[in-house]
Amino acid sequence: MNIKIRRSGRLRIALPDLLVFLFPPLLSGCVTVAPQQRAILADPTMQFGAPTAHEAPLRHAIDNREGSMGGHGVSGGGCGCN
Amino acid sequence: MQLGSRPSLVAVLAAALLVSARPVRAQVAEFDTSHTVFYEAPTRTHMFVYSPSVGARASPWSWLDVRGGWEADVVSGASVATKAGPAYQSNHIAADVVTTASVRDLRNVGHGEATVKGEVTSLTAGYDYSTEHDYRSSSLHVDARTDALQHNTQFELSYARNFDSVCDRVQGETNPVRFVALENSTGCFTSSSLRTTHPIGIDTYEGSWAQSWTPVLATQLVYTAQLVDGFQSDPYRSVILGQGIKGQEHEPAERAREAVTARVAWYLRAVKGALRMSVRAYGDTWAIRSGTVEAEFEKSLGESLRLMARGRFYRQSAAVFWSDDYTGGAPPLGPKGQYWTGDRELSPFWSWLAGARAVLTIAPAHGRLLGFMESLQLAGSANVTGFSYDEYTLGGTPVTNAMAYVATLSLDAAF
Repeated sequence: MNIKIRRSGRLRIALPDLLVFLFPPLLSGCVTVAPQQRAILADPTMQFGAPTAHEAPLRHAIDNREGSMGGHGVSGGGCGCN
Repeated sequence: MQLGSRPSLVAVLAAALLVSARPVRAQVAEFDTSHTVFYEAPTRTHMFVYSPSVGARASPWSWLDVRGGWEADVVSGASVATKAGPAYQSNHIAADVVTTASVRDLRNVGHGEATVKGEVTSLTAGYDYSTEHDYRSSSLHVDARTDALQHNTQFELSYARNFDSVCDRVQGETNPVRFVALENSTGCFTSSSLRTTHPIGIDTYEGSWAQSWTPVLATQLVYTAQLVDGFQSDPYRSVILGQGIKGQEHEPAERAREAVTARVAWYLRAVKGALRMSVRAYGDTWAIRSGTVEAEFEKSLGESLRLMARGRFYRQSAAVFWSDDYTGGAPPLGPKGQYWTGDRELSPFWSWLAGARAVLTIAPAHGRLLGFMESLQLAGSANVTGFSYDEYTLGGTPVTNAMAYVATLSLDAAF
């Protein structure tokens, strides 16, 4: 990527590079996995989804023992901070 | 409404019912329950939590999913009530300057949500309500998801708003240094003149992009941001600030947090298993910076059994106002501005986690299980996590054996 920092401190980025950086999903248009090739991708072992009912308590415990958050969805009620 | 319009209204309603009833199919319903125990016993404290949950999902029409459930935390243990550091302890050798208090609580959460599904899009809206002896929470969330490029690309946007409130003691002083910690939850959320509540507003935003690159490789990029506005301290905890001065924990009321998570799932044909890895970078306006690396390997054994092993490493820096001793001393001890905390989760530390999970799915090819179930899934997992605190001590005594154990059993039945 063509990024330069001038002596003035201003960041200079070429427009095409900026578009690629800001819209990486555009690149994905070049990639096609045909429906008949999706058997493995549909397997439960390949899923990213939000924590299931089984995994949610572990995530809740971890979140309450660390100063961080993020990456596992937005829903949830209550503190349960003990 | 005029009487004359009633027959036409009935006809419209009947037509609408017929139209909406026509795609009735499947009538899928699911029921799940899980039971988790959490236990830890680091230096001078301990905590045991039992968390049961039940949930149900129904799809009365192909375009609609409805979910609801309940979960609880039954908590008992002991936590730090007064935090002091090594400098203060060394000046009071004969005294135990750190105190603990027993904790008993019950958290109940009820939740429900509905998802309207189209060909490539879905919209979800839901509500959670939870109660504890000293905390109330109402939370609304909405979620929009769409598939693109022959389902190889998924975009998802989510937002949640929490309207929470936490119980506190009515303070007789106006100077926070003289605030007294809440002694117990008696009288909370009643008209007691000794209790008050503080509001907490939480806005959480998340956007994600998932992409299938090859028949065995998929990635996901997630950005999460959260704005917290309100009382974020532990109302039960005090910190010794000087000789004869013990102030209720006092943290800033505003906090902006953000995280970027990158995930990859890669199916390894040679071993017939999936390797999932994720990396997360986090930062907030309290100057906490953290990094997380997780790896999971899951393999199917036959048609019905899946086994998974996981590992996780986490490292964070301290909040800018965190100190192990606010009574003074050479760095890293000493007060740091107008805020103070005794929270080990705001101190610098690293942690690790190791775990395993087994999932058994029983789905008969013909007929139904026990005559009424389409499938039954049983899962069990066990995890252990350890924490190593760089600076956090209890009066100069390091917190050792900071290990936590989490085990879960769950059952999921489809009808």
